[in-house]
Amino acid sequence: MDPEAAKALGAGLAMGLGAIGPGIGLGTLIGKAIEGIARQPEVAGDIRTNMFIGIGVTEAVALYAFVVALILIFVA
Amino acid sequence: MGRPAPSSEHDAARPPASGESPVVAPPAPKRPVREEVPVAKKRGCGGCLLVVLVVLAVLVGLLFIPGGEKLEFDIVEEFERHVLIELPSIGPLDMSITTSVAYLWIAVGVIVVIAVVVSRVVKPIPGRFQTALESVYELAREGITRSVMKKGADKWFPYIGAIFFFILISNLIGLIPLPVGEGWQEAFYVATSNINVTAMLALLTFIFTHYAGIRSHGLFRYMGEWAPKTAPPVLKQFIWGIHLVSEVFRLVSLSVRLFANMLAGHAILAVFFAMALIFQNYAIAVVLQGGSVVIYLFEVFIAGIQAFIFAILSAVYIGGAIEGE
Repeated sequence: MDPEAAKALGAGLAMGLGAIGPGIGLGTLIGKAIEGIARQPEVAGDIRTNMFIGIGVTEAVALYAFVVALILIFVA
Repeated sequence: MGRPAPSSEHDAARPPASGESPVVAPPAPKRPVREEVPVAKKRGCGGCLLVVLVVLAVLVGLLFIPGGEKLEFDIVEEFERHVLIELPSIGPLDMSITTSVAYLWIAVGVIVVIAVVVSRVVKPIPGRFQTALESVYELAREGITRSVMKKGADKWFPYIGAIFFFILISNLIGLIPLPVGEGWQEAFYVATSNINVTAMLALLTFIFTHYAGIRSHGLFRYMGEWAPKTAPPVLKQFIWGIHLVSEVFRLVSLSVRLFANMLAGHAILAVFFAMALIFQNYAIAVVLQGGSVVIYLFEVFIAGIQAFIFAILSAVYIGGAIEGE
């Protein structure tokens, strides 16, 4: 295979497959947070703060995939 | 925005909208007969159908107008190192002023100006500007520092608040094109999309975390708390090693999260801008420019969220080190 094509393919696969997990995770996380807020609106502020922390931690996984894709394209 | 302002805006915005809907409601039964149901449904008003049709006609007309000269545009170039003022390097440190440095200085300048202006004009009855800044300050103090840290919140607020405001302002400034690019051209760049900047910020949090932990517990007790005391000897060392790796990995995750978020956001915006140049078509240009406005607004949201997450994670790490596991 042409090295350039392999790089492009690898970067696309890294980003695409790497986004699956965080996508599922973020969906579950935000869904559960909204469920919690709907059940107990009085603690909505606390739940929202913790939700954003969780979003930050979960989202980072997709961003590692993004960085790997960038490295594959521009550095490797 | 102050708290009363949004509600008054909503109140002001609502009456015309609710006043419009009864007028628009009567032609609704006619709509399903027409062809453009999905388009009309989105607008939800019959009068808008004409507007939508005209817009579609204009777009179709634009499709047939040939674009201009094909332009070369490389997205990577935006994020490369552009030296503005060449300065001699001191040892291994290159002291040249680059686009990234210029953006950092502008962010610092904006923060200083805002802080000085606000501290001069503080009034007992705050105006709009003061209310907005006070609510952001309160978010940094109550929402981020005090809600997360049980002990030492007031001692560590200056650091957490500074890092929050610095990242927030530099993220927002990055959304404005400024003439500090290559050869003093307009650049679309953000200082936090440079891994050196975010790694330095993460390193500060890393150092302060362990400084706070060692100060409140002593070196050996602090490090001893990384593994549970009741674990059997070999497992205990293994857990301690894993904890050490996770501590170092926090450095990576903090810096890469901010860097990759801002870089990805700006790359997407640059792709939207550049796509019109690449396709050489007015219809695609109009649609993509409309889309880029939506993405731009989303980036403003992301800028705030990333500053919030960086600050709150710093607070969580420092608070955890002070309290012990």
